[in-house]
Amino acid sequence: MNTDETHAAQAFLTHHDFVKGVALKYAPWPGLVEDICQQVFLEFLAKEDRWDVSRDLRPLLATMTRHVAMRLWRERTRQQPEVVQKLAEHIRQLAESQEAPPRYEEEIAVLRNCLQKLPEKSRELVELYYYNEVGTPEIAEQINMRTDTVCRALSRVREKLRECIERSMERGGAAHA
Amino acid sequence: MPEVDTLIQRYLEGVLSTDEAEALHGLIEANPEDGRRLLRHLEMDAMLRASKGLTNGGMRAPMLLPKRRFTVTTVAGVAALAACVALVGGWIGSGLIESTRSESEATTASVAVLTRAVNLEWESPAMTAGTPLVPGVLKMKSGLAQIEFYHGARVLIEGPAEFELVSAGEATCTRGKLSAQVPPQAKGFRINTPKGTIVDLGTEFGLDVSSGTSEVHVFKGEVELHPVSDAMRSLKEGQALSFAGAPTSLAANPLGFASLGDIDSRTVDSQRMELERWKAKSQILNEDSALKLRFDFQDRLGSRSLMNQAGAEGRNGDGSIVGAEWTQGRWPGKGALEFRNVSDRVRLSIPGETKALTLAACVRINGLDRVFNSLFMSESWGDRKIHWQITRDGLIRLGVAGSGGDRHVDYDAPVFFTPERFGRWIQIAVVFDPTAREVRHYAEGQLIARLPMKDATPLRIGIAELGNWNDSRQKGGVAIRHLSGAMDEFALWDRVLRDDEIAGLVR
Repeated sequence: MNTDETHAAQAFLTHHDFVKGVALKYAPWPGLVEDICQQVFLEFLAKEDRWDVSRDLRPLLATMTRHVAMRLWRERTRQQPEVVQKLAEHIRQLAESQEAPPRYEEEIAVLRNCLQKLPEKSRELVELYYYNEVGTPEIAEQINMRTDTVCRALSRVREKLRECIERSMERGGAAHA
Repeated sequence: MPEVDTLIQRYLEGVLSTDEAEALHGLIEANPEDGRRLLRHLEMDAMLRASKGLTNGGMRAPMLLPKRRFTVTTVAGVAALAACVALVGGWIGSGLIESTRSESEATTASVAVLTRAVNLEWESPAMTAGTPLVPGVLKMKSGLAQIEFYHGARVLIEGPAEFELVSAGEATCTRGKLSAQVPPQAKGFRINTPKGTIVDLGTEFGLDVSSGTSEVHVFKGEVELHPVSDAMRSLKEGQALSFAGAPTSLAANPLGFASLGDIDSRTVDSQRMELERWKAKSQILNEDSALKLRFDFQDRLGSRSLMNQAGAEGRNGDGSIVGAEWTQGRWPGKGALEFRNVSDRVRLSIPGETKALTLAACVRINGLDRVFNSLFMSESWGDRKIHWQITRDGLIRLGVAGSGGDRHVDYDAPVFFTPERFGRWIQIAVVFDPTAREVRHYAEGQLIARLPMKDATPLRIGIAELGNWNDSRQKGGVAIRHLSGAMDEFALWDRVLRDDEIAGLVR
């Protein structure tokens, strides 16, 4: 990577949570945000000589992200059965119609502290499912419980985290989480 | 039909059936709040996936490949699941009740590290540079060893010698010559001898404990000598004392002891010789007609492919480097590939099937960050493919997929890659021996596990990767199993190598 590319990469890195927030708004499909972020990064670097990285890159990144998000969303959902495609389209329209701007960037900054506030068992569940990549059917099978029960528990954990994030945002953000 | 929370979870997990998708669609159309609820979960799901890097203290790099969807196949590692089950324990049954279990933290008993080893021949079990040292006796026949104590003292020992590590600030020398550098932070460092104890006050000194003589020479600073049968004496720079019998004053002789300069030049010479020996041995190895693949990692610097050096194979089986960067291998002049990113890998192909198999690699493991850390893995899984890997716990595993619906079998060596072994070059090998109906694991040329074979059906490696894994069956994402470390040699034979042949790979 040459020096310009390094500068461009650094500039992108400072905004990649912003990119994820935009990606989530235009492509609300599970697991797609990281793909979009990666693709935007690659396209941004490929044309790095066109960008003035000393200026505010957000408008540019928002446009690039929207295009990439819609493209990848179409590619991903096209592989699905028709009924799932309809569901995905409904969710996409719902996400796009949300008037509030994406808050991903601010929220992820406080998530870490909120995770630390979770009860130990909830943290363990997050670790198991999100970090150790064990699916709910496998968790349920091994501990002889219903998959629905595991699903509900995960849902509760996410809601608790959402509440924690909301509270800390009301108090001023990451420093108050 | 499951309730909305379960449907949302299944949507997030990518496993909705068409009936469930229809039901979820109906629910969020009928109740917009359920739709908003789904979006909130989707956002939190994305953040939690991204938080993996956060909680591990690493940077959330945007160049990471797509997050995988959680499906049965991506979590096929039963051992990982078993480990996780222990973690979950009574989680659901207790209704998210706090447990009293505390995380056990890894510990080490080491007090020093062998930082350099030049032409060392051991009487006690052999060790290589980089080995952390626990209290105990080291016996050397010849050569030069540099040991750094955790309190800061540095000792150069010339063989033959017998040297016992007592603690991070104390040792006993019963035979041999050594020189010690003791910085102010290590003041008080002690070396015991049969005839007395030397307490260093922040200095450099030499010690000679040979048959019939015990001498201490002070090159810099000051030491205290506590003879067994005499009063304490203080020795200053330029002074020396013979204390085996009646104390006799001498002039300090720095030239009589190995210095850092000596070990530097001898290290360079020694490494050059090691490299030349390895090159000579490589030529012999490459002639073996059963050698199907051998990467010596001596390709042109910056090359994006590894040339198969197996003589009988011509240019068949070259490897394509993806992502991984070149670095230094075991010695200066020896190339290696560093695997550190999710994309780093060497892709290759081993067509056909093989009844017997030996794999050998020289690796430097930096850490075991993932449930499975790939050494050499067939693409995907099933139909007698193999996965040679290290688990997060540090055990070396050869996984062999079943055929025709049979279960796979994991052949596990005991835990080998403990943190003490991270950062060091280590030769490992595994043998699939259908005649003896055994799978054998080796490390540093020594047999470490002998396991009965459950299914001797020939193996079909096919497309495979060094240092990573790809699962062509997955469209939504692939489990991350890349190696965190480096590799500077890899070989594959379609025959069983004997114990002595494997030991010879290391010598």
